Amino acid sequence: MILILSEPADPTVRLVLPKLLDRGADVLWWDPADFPARARLTAVVDGPDPRLLLHTGDAEHDLSAVTAVWNRRPGRPRAAAATDPEHRDRAESLARIHLAGFLDLLEARWLPARGRVLDAVHNKLTHLVPAVRHGFTVPETVFTNDPGALVPAWHRHGGRLVAKLLQPEECRVDGERHLVYTTEVGRRQLAGRHRVRHEPVILQPYVDKDVELRVTVVGDRVFAAAIDSQASRLTRVDWRHYEDESVPYTACELPADVAARCAAYVAACGLSYGALDLIRTPAGEHVFLEINPNGHWGWIEDETGLPIGDAIAGWLLAAEEDPT
Amino acid sequence: MITETGLGAALGSAAELLRGLPRRRDGESAARAAVRAWAADHPGLDAELVIAPHPSSPVVDYDLVLAHPDGGTVTVTAQPEDGVPWLVDHSTHWAANRVLTVDGFDVTVPQALMAVRAAGARRPSLHRELVDHCLLYALAAGDTAPVTREETQAAADEFRRSRGLHDRAVTLAWLAEAGLTEDDLARHVDRYARVRRLRRRKERELGPALLAADPGRFDRVDALWALTDGEVTAARVARTLPVVPTVRMELTSVETVADALPEPMRGAAADERVGPVPYEGRWLAGLVRSRRPAAADVAARAAERAAFDAWLAERRAAADIRWHWL
Repeated sequence: MILILSEPADPTVRLVLPKLLDRGADVLWWDPADFPARARLTAVVDGPDPRLLLHTGDAEHDLSAVTAVWNRRPGRPRAAAATDPEHRDRAESLARIHLAGFLDLLEARWLPARGRVLDAVHNKLTHLVPAVRHGFTVPETVFTNDPGALVPAWHRHGGRLVAKLLQPEECRVDGERHLVYTTEVGRRQLAGRHRVRHEPVILQPYVDKDVELRVTVVGDRVFAAAIDSQASRLTRVDWRHYEDESVPYTACELPADVAARCAAYVAACGLSYGALDLIRTPAGEHVFLEINPNGHWGWIEDETGLPIGDAIAGWLLAAEEDPT
Repeated sequence: MITETGLGAALGSAAELLRGLPRRRDGESAARAAVRAWAADHPGLDAELVIAPHPSSPVVDYDLVLAHPDGGTVTVTAQPEDGVPWLVDHSTHWAANRVLTVDGFDVTVPQALMAVRAAGARRPSLHRELVDHCLLYALAAGDTAPVTREETQAAADEFRRSRGLHDRAVTLAWLAEAGLTEDDLARHVDRYARVRRLRRRKERELGPALLAADPGRFDRVDALWALTDGEVTAARVARTLPVVPTVRMELTSVETVADALPEPMRGAAADERVGPVPYEGRWLAGLVRSRRPAAADVAARAAERAAFDAWLAERRAAADIRWHWL
């Protein structure tokens, strides 16, 4: 059985599910947000092989039979709405612990990885150093909330400095939703250096780009898409900025050593899937920016035709089709 | 004459001034007023406020540029400790790339401009109007002299009249439909008053010479013309005017100055037929029924408008125009 952990409206699951069903797979798509309010999870430990039962209201599933888990976009456990807020917090806290332990007991292959691995790799502080150790070129990176670090970094890089957020988090300005992108730090912006104290930032030199690369790794397969972010003034610093529809995406081949490095790095992070952001400089050097262990790929497949969904389906089915 | 000691005190005062200014786009008028008052209290420093809006955000930064008593320039910038993190201060409004949202569906800036471009087939001047808007507002922005109450009132009256906003209830309904507040309207009227002032100044400057050079261009004419989709129909109309045959056409009958007629008819004498001639993608057939010199004030006003339009067309032709989203 293949277990997909994701919210019911997740469009990415719908890109892969038909491929699994066409190949005769037994698939259970379940959202942990249903637990504990609408689903029951029971683990019975009476020997070395625990019994793991999921009751979803209309059926009972023996999760001991799960061979692969796609940890796509699971919702957080939610208690019944009628519960007193204090009790609800407590119930949801315990539910998270119960769920994490329960899922940890599944003897299956995970894509991209178990939750605790994902939590660690999501942290840029954690995943950048292994990238250097795997031979990637990484720009000098300062993670800090020290205002005194801003001006020296700006000088070190000849005034070509960018600031980034540690994790994608929305914020509000005057009650309106705002987004934080990679932001150039001009001389004028140094006047607000005291603001660095309030929230950690990532400081890096601006890296000149030929193209930006989104490299999607599934198992040992590597799919590279070139994003010509330099074609638009608006996406020059951060290709996500303004979602400019005129930015072209194309499938491309990575040099063999770079592709192998990407696959090895993803595996070393404990992942079977990863979306890496690289820059290819005008000099042809490949510079590592970050890895998103659960990064979106549907739009890349849509724009470039790269068969990422097929690769994910194949990876999930591999254990069922070849249990050895 | 400012002494060095006086300068030191002024710099401290300038920093306090900047720290107290509202760091929002809608606070710019208040910031300018505060700096004008400060400058009046500190003569000899030639204080000027520089406003730098953050892109795609309501946040603005300020600098105060001052003259040093020994020559040269001193620039003061200051940001208060308001607890806002650096990246939040430089964040981007979620709708930065959107023009509007209808029932949850967003229209992005590129999509809107594509729609404008498509609409251009029916209204060729639409892109040109956007360029003119940009040119005029850029020129007017350099005019920092305060707008008088009379100018504001005249601009507001003209703005409302041109949109049929004859009373407060209708104005409020129009604002609601346009997604604007009364403050938005007040800011727009302030900028519009500056554009209007610029326009009137150029009109008075250039109009008399144009009238003197070609007075016949501003004759009073009584004319009618038809626009048709085909040449044959236009030829039939041209033969029968002023009798109008029963054919599909767009007919205009007007008494105006010659300069306001379609270009092929402007030089026509009284009782002269024009056409059929191609005109703006269709066919034109017309007749000038009468033509005589206009009253002096009417001709002068028409010449002013024509002179201004010609001046603006020259600016447009010389401008460096970049469409960012197409």
